[in-house]
Amino acid sequence: MESIFTPYMLFNFALIAITAPFLAFIFSLIFKRFAAVIGIASIGLSFISSLILFIGVWKKPVLHFSFDWIQLANFKINLGFLLNDLTVIMLLLISFIALLVHIYSVEYMRKDDLKYRYFAYLSLFCFAMLGVVLADNLFLVYIFWELVGFASYLLIGFWFKKEKAVLANKKAFIMNRIGDVGFLIGLMILLTQFHTLDIDVLFGQGNLIASSFVKNDIWATPFGLMPAYWLSIAGFCFFAGAIAKSAQFPLHTWLPDAMEGPTAVSSLIHAATMVAAGVFLLLRIAPLFNQLVLTSMAAIGLFTAFMAASIAVTQTDIKKVLAFSTISQLGFMILAVGVQDNAAAIFHLVTHAFFKCLLFLAAGMVIHQLHHLKEKYQENFDDQSLEVMGGLRKLMPITFIVFVAASIALAGLPFTSGYLSKDAILVSVFEWADERGGIYWVFPLLVSITSWLTTFYIFRVVFKAFFGEFRLPQILGKTAEELKITDPNRWMTIPVIILALFCFALFFAYNPFNLESSWIYGSWNNHPHHTGMYPILVPIYINVLSFALIFMAYQAYAKNTFAFNNQASWYYKLSLNQWYFNSFYDVFLIKILMLKTKAFYWFDQKIIDGFIHLLSNIIIIISKITSWFDHYIIDGLVNGSAWLVSRLGIWLRGMHSGKLQHYFIWMLLIFLSFFIYKLII
Amino acid sequence: MGLLSILIFLPLVFGMFILLMPKALNHYFKYLTVGVSLVQLLIASWLYFNFKTGDGFTGVNQLAQYQWVEKLDWIRLDVGSFGTLQIDYLLGVDGFSIGLVWLSALVMLIASLSSWEIKSNLKGYFALFLLLDTAIIGVFCSLDLFLFYIFYELMLLPLYFLIGMWGGVRREYAAIKFFLYTLFGSIFMLLVIAGLYLSVTDPETGNHTFNLVHAMNPANYSAGSIFSALDNIQILGFSARAIGFIIVFIAFAIKVPVFPFHTWLPDAHVEAPTPISIILAGILLKVGGYGIIRIAYGIFPDIAISLSWWMGLLGVISIIYGAMNALAQTDLKRLIAYSSVSHMGFVLLGIASLTSEGINGAMMQMISHGFLSVMLFFIVGVIYNRVHDRDIYNFRGLANQMPVFTGFVMIAFFASLGLPGFSAFIAEAFSLIGAFSSQSLNGLLPRWMAVVAAIGILLGAGYFLWTLQRMFFGTLRLKKEEWKAQLVDLNFREKLVLFPLAALALVLGIMPSLVFNVMSSSINQFILLFK
Repeated sequence: MESIFTPYMLFNFALIAITAPFLAFIFSLIFKRFAAVIGIASIGLSFISSLILFIGVWKKPVLHFSFDWIQLANFKINLGFLLNDLTVIMLLLISFIALLVHIYSVEYMRKDDLKYRYFAYLSLFCFAMLGVVLADNLFLVYIFWELVGFASYLLIGFWFKKEKAVLANKKAFIMNRIGDVGFLIGLMILLTQFHTLDIDVLFGQGNLIASSFVKNDIWATPFGLMPAYWLSIAGFCFFAGAIAKSAQFPLHTWLPDAMEGPTAVSSLIHAATMVAAGVFLLLRIAPLFNQLVLTSMAAIGLFTAFMAASIAVTQTDIKKVLAFSTISQLGFMILAVGVQDNAAAIFHLVTHAFFKCLLFLAAGMVIHQLHHLKEKYQENFDDQSLEVMGGLRKLMPITFIVFVAASIALAGLPFTSGYLSKDAILVSVFEWADERGGIYWVFPLLVSITSWLTTFYIFRVVFKAFFGEFRLPQILGKTAEELKITDPNRWMTIPVIILALFCFALFFAYNPFNLESSWIYGSWNNHPHHTGMYPILVPIYINVLSFALIFMAYQAYAKNTFAFNNQASWYYKLSLNQWYFNSFYDVFLIKILMLKTKAFYWFDQKIIDGFIHLLSNIIIIISKITSWFDHYIIDGLVNGSAWLVSRLGIWLRGMHSGKLQHYFIWMLLIFLSFFIYKLII
Repeated sequence: MGLLSILIFLPLVFGMFILLMPKALNHYFKYLTVGVSLVQLLIASWLYFNFKTGDGFTGVNQLAQYQWVEKLDWIRLDVGSFGTLQIDYLLGVDGFSIGLVWLSALVMLIASLSSWEIKSNLKGYFALFLLLDTAIIGVFCSLDLFLFYIFYELMLLPLYFLIGMWGGVRREYAAIKFFLYTLFGSIFMLLVIAGLYLSVTDPETGNHTFNLVHAMNPANYSAGSIFSALDNIQILGFSARAIGFIIVFIAFAIKVPVFPFHTWLPDAHVEAPTPISIILAGILLKVGGYGIIRIAYGIFPDIAISLSWWMGLLGVISIIYGAMNALAQTDLKRLIAYSSVSHMGFVLLGIASLTSEGINGAMMQMISHGFLSVMLFFIVGVIYNRVHDRDIYNFRGLANQMPVFTGFVMIAFFASLGLPGFSAFIAEAFSLIGAFSSQSLNGLLPRWMAVVAAIGILLGAGYFLWTLQRMFFGTLRLKKEEWKAQLVDLNFREKLVLFPLAALALVLGIMPSLVFNVMSSSINQFILLFK
């Protein structure tokens, strides 16, 4: 089908999509009063451009625009856009969700004095995120990748007076920097081996990666040779970047802390888009990874998914549950990339973005309303704690409905988008393990358990927050009438209702039970179509137990017919304390690093400077010795001889007494001496 | 009289003028100095934008390809059997020096603008300041080793007094330490320069010469002379050229400073008044990097190749060592001083790689660190001038009190830690890329060096963000109650300084070609020396 848009037009739309948020960033800082309007208008413009790009590019040949930027002797680095299916679907996703979050933020940040900064930072984030997606070479991706981290830093620490917030944003940036160092090393390896970082040239049709090969432990490319292990290192380096950005084990601990930022930010950045950038990167450069890297990726993804889900089960802070849920779901996507079902990874990325964003926004509505109560009564309670909620389904019906819609999508129940995308990953994992057998069966086993844990923890939140009795009045000792809370106004409800619609399978597939009918999944045909029994059996087996777990959660948290009494058990504590990662890092990494820095400083002060001082002291001592020698020996000799002469003179002077007898005696003595001398000789 | 001479001697003339002015005009000295620096910057900018690039203007070892060359016979002395003593007044710039000349002019302007904090003995201060200005520009322009050495040593004298008289509590210790450290390096260098003089002959006149450019051409060495590349003369069993290289390298390594010759730097920076810290970090360190490229590497390329591994290692150690020390500091100024050690390590690493990317990165890092360190030290000066304290733990939540200032601090910190979009990122990335690709391109540096050096970027984020969190974020808490009134936000003059620097970091980060284009042909020519 011939596109109605010429490539030149599409290029301009891409330019608009990315520059609009950047201009909004600058103008928001200048025209502070209109920051929200500018922000919404710009991201709206981006969204429209993205839509046009989607129409113009989806399932059509790749478009690549490139302009000279830096030209050096051995290689050059360009600026440009790469427009392919992956780009446009991400563009659409990011700009659409960002638009909704912008609208939502108007109400959420209404009372904040510095909200112009908030909108400016949000625009900066959108600019950077769209840049990551549009960039045509990895150097440019890296630039935007770090800018995304920077925008996230600004937004996490938006309430910079909060001690926890500024600790969290520092942690987020530094942990991301660890991944970035990996990314940078990966860039250096590719640049050295291929003399280009152009994604299309490296990974596109007839790509350079395919023309390189490993033989006799040497990785050969058209431009050079390296030992074969550098191919694996390159893969691991980029993967490290993705681990940090997508909050995977062992660099996941920044994401729960990042919840200190405004909830709207958490929903956009730390649930829907930025954290997905890691997965996006892996998809962009997928041909680079060899089996070793892929298997490690699957293992890390699996472990992260399981660990985070197990933590989410016991957290009482609603945002913490969602944060760990995000980590866990990102683990699923990484797992999908690891088992080479890229279609499932991108599909889950998209569906997850909608329902997780919605979960955060809905939770934000609850937190927002509770926060108002807190300010109104000047009470001190944790407005994010599940313990103060309960029974909200009657008070906040819209919030309740959208939250449940997102929850069933997260749990992957039938008719939801999550059903399709998560089960796509599960099926692939089963097939992958089936091919390999043996120890690899751990993967389907753990991934099933994780899937059930997911259902359980999210319905635990649903029942604790929205069912039963509203617990806050009891805690504050007030009546339920006094603490009346309702759904917030339309600025917040309309975006969440739109998002709720996207939790259902209909938007992604005409047949809600058939994965192959999904337009996103179907467009990536690099994975063989599923065959055999797994596509039918896996969803059934997962869902049957899921329903049982939902029932159990209902009994435990809504009806309180029974309670879990395992709070003293080791596994409960492990989960509650988030597997002790933070304490471990604080003690073993930070403390030791600090000790090392002290040791370095000691070395600098005592050894290097000490040596300098020693040198100067030695010189001073030598100079003192010389001075002493000069004074007592050299000068002593001079003075001594002078003294001698003068003494001699004084003594000789005594001879000239003027008395004749004395002269006579002297003559006699001299004569006698001469005589004796002659006698002896 | 050429433009370069005007550039060099303009400050000297006005410095003398200040000496002659009556004390009653004390207040005008700073304006006069700012004016001189501004004119200098205008001239330097004109030179920069009219600098021609391309194959015909590479400079390096082609005297004819230098630009704005001025050559005067300075000293001609008949010394009997040695022929004629030939010392030229020879100035000229190529791609390596033009950027640094411009940077020097900029930094001197910023330093003069921050000299408002100097309150005592203004006449002496500004006269010395302008003398220093002359010496600095002179170093970057001279192409005669004798002339170079004179300017090089001339920098020390004013700096010694500027630190020793207008510095902090331990100023005398710091001044003498700085003076002796650098002098230690340069007196031995004088021996090497003398040796070079005896070895190199001017192909035109046949005399022995101090000409720097002639010294880069092996054909100009007379047979059997001490530094002759062909004869490989030995001194005490070591190659004379190797000894020459090492001596010159150490002299400049002290300036850079490279581990383990760096300990003068924290003391000198901390004790110096803000404008002098700015000059030290902004330009003086670059004299070291420039000297390593131009003299150590340019004159002894054969030795440089064989010792590249060690140079790279020192670079990597400086990066990590400086960063680790910066993390341990509680004095803000000392932290920034150590961060300079770390950042200048990238310069050495880039040079040692002897790849186009590495040297471009190194030059970019010198220029970028030039104005970023200026910005950082100026920032310290802003706080120190208000409350006379620099301890990180005595401040908290400054963002509440000084929002505009905090904005600039964030820009400076993030630019310094290598956030993309700012010049330091390009510089560090290219130094690292050069170091990494070195093994594949010329086999000089192992790949692990670049990998280890990349950790320095991580540590950089650590100390800058930690400082930001400790000093600027959180609720306002100061050591003394009265500080609250003293810590007012930036005034116009301070904004006037910080804004262009921030803009410059951004512009060069987005359009690095502004620097790369000017340097690249010289760098390509330079690399040919090592083929």
